[in-house]
Amino acid sequence: MKSPDTRYKDGILFALLFAMVLFFFITSIVAGTVSIPVGEIINILAGGESSRPDWEIIVRELRVPRAVTALAAGAGLSVSGLLMQTAFRNPLAGPYVLGISAGASLGVAIVVMGASIIPGYIITGGGDWPAVIAAWAGSGAVLVLILLVSFRVRDIMTILILGIMFGSATGALVSIMQYFSTEAMLKSFLIWTMGSLGGVTGQQLAIMVPAVAVGLIIAMAAVKILNTMLLGEDYARSMGLNITLARGVIFFSTSLLAGTITAFCGPIAFVGIAVPHLARMMFRNADHAVLMPATALTGASVMLASDIASRLPGMEGSLPINSVTALLGIPVVIWIVIRNQKLTGIF
Amino acid sequence: MQNNTPVLHTENLTVGYPGDRESGGPVFSDINVDARSSELVALFGPNGIGKSTLLRSLVKLLIPLSGKIYLYGSNIKNYPANRIAKIAGFVSTETVRINNLRVYDLVSLGRYPHTGWMGRLNSHDIEKVEEALEMVGISELKSKYINRLSDGERQRAMIARTLAQDTPVIVLDEPTAYLDLPNKYEIIHLLHRLAAEKGKTVIFSTHDLGIAIQEASKIWVMLHGQIFQGAPEDLILDGSFGRMFEHTNLLFSKGKGEFRIRREPGTIIGLYGPAPERRWTRNALERTGFGVAENKTCDTVVEVVNTDGNRSWIIKQGETNISFASIYELCSYLKPSGA
Repeated sequence: MKSPDTRYKDGILFALLFAMVLFFFITSIVAGTVSIPVGEIINILAGGESSRPDWEIIVRELRVPRAVTALAAGAGLSVSGLLMQTAFRNPLAGPYVLGISAGASLGVAIVVMGASIIPGYIITGGGDWPAVIAAWAGSGAVLVLILLVSFRVRDIMTILILGIMFGSATGALVSIMQYFSTEAMLKSFLIWTMGSLGGVTGQQLAIMVPAVAVGLIIAMAAVKILNTMLLGEDYARSMGLNITLARGVIFFSTSLLAGTITAFCGPIAFVGIAVPHLARMMFRNADHAVLMPATALTGASVMLASDIASRLPGMEGSLPINSVTALLGIPVVIWIVIRNQKLTGIF
Repeated sequence: MQNNTPVLHTENLTVGYPGDRESGGPVFSDINVDARSSELVALFGPNGIGKSTLLRSLVKLLIPLSGKIYLYGSNIKNYPANRIAKIAGFVSTETVRINNLRVYDLVSLGRYPHTGWMGRLNSHDIEKVEEALEMVGISELKSKYINRLSDGERQRAMIARTLAQDTPVIVLDEPTAYLDLPNKYEIIHLLHRLAAEKGKTVIFSTHDLGIAIQEASKIWVMLHGQIFQGAPEDLILDGSFGRMFEHTNLLFSKGKGEFRIRREPGTIIGLYGPAPERRWTRNALERTGFGVAENKTCDTVVEVVNTDGNRSWIIKQGETNISFASIYELCSYLKPSGA
């Protein structure tokens, strides 16, 4: 579904986006407190020996995983936002707003701090898997709750408000757990909630990247379903779409994407809600075959750029990524609200 | 004409919503209607009687509470959704407002039951989309965004989407609801053409009885728990429309095929003169509160004179004759003072 006259323009935009992702990816690897010449970095990336072994370690074990994490998190969160906005036909839907990230947080909180509350509860072994599975379960549970409510309540604003309530409720549960947990556990959980792209190790990436990739592939395969859902449930069903199956596929992909990313990077706000709108603004198209890759690429660029901004030169360490994405995302959200004052026109 | 087997018919159908009395329950029962190919069927009835519920049931967006709906002789209960999607298209009352959606893309969504899992259009699909745009007369708008269209244009685009779906049956829920009068007529006439030229069975609900009488081949009337069907003319002659408004302030005129407000006629005024002037003078006199007799024997008689386009209205009361240049002045004079 593509008007012929838009193809040429879309091609240029995609090329630009691709170049942007590449540029930020390389910048992300180059930028840092230890300055390493670009030539050396390319040499290391290409598998060559560096003149200094510590540079090799910094690039291979810190900077590359961090850039890959930003790339995957940006693309995954943005696509999950696009999926939510179309599934709920609501421009303000997103994994964070609907409480899906909060659900994942609750899952992680139970794993990280559960030992201090539930007697005899100790997770041993399994590496990162318990936290990841708990995050998937948490985000999936919130989505199922919202889905059940959306069967009874048609009004999109009501569903949004309920999503915020679910988010607050899970947040409250997490606070109670924090109150009872030990100082060390609390600290590790708090750091996690601030969001971080730098803490993800190469080993963890081996879980995160495939999980995000599967989520993205499912999302891309659901392009036709999503386009059909744009017109609303009646039209979608009158064109033969099995709406329950469609929602199942979309929610599975969303839980996988938002749950995985939240488990490893913490709840990152406003990327999921804002980036799909940036993609729509650029491409002026409602076709998901265009919007899906556009959103993924834009999301990757935005997250890489936010991560670079969070460790501007002259600073020790880096700012919490959540603050940076919030400061970048909130103006976009405000702009959406002002533009459709009554929220009648979607997307 | 081989129109004898209905494309769609219902058998003791009860439509409504699942659930108990509070959340659902039957809306309308004992529905036995049918529609054939090349027929434009207008569904008529008061607000809230269940027109949408019936129409949504016909395309299986709602499951009947009891009874059967047949498409081409088979119960649609046994049809999977993607089979229905190739037989019956649907246009809902909901106004679709999506920024960034072009008319062409909206219409090509209609091809979805026919395309593969990625929804890619082949040359046959593209042909169908272009044909649909052409048929509703919006080919030149195809690269416009739907939010930039007028209400009439948007409704055409929605109809084109259903046409692209290429179904022998099209069901539309109040397609003229938000339209101005010329657009109402044009949309209904378009539906008439789809039935007459493309052989489609087109079923739509409406409140515009006047337009329906002119264009529909058949009217389904839902009224006081009963639904009956027939050619509009049959329903006029057998008094069905009159019964529809028995308990209201409206009267249905068999002669004119239109509704008017029920009035207690006052003094009878005689009226004569040439045809169009007489018809509209009568209209004005009745509105003002008089009964009208088309003869000269009353105490008060109005004569309309038209000499080469110069009209005058003369009131004759006994020996006095007063002349007026317009119906407005005539009525102002005759109007009973506020006593």
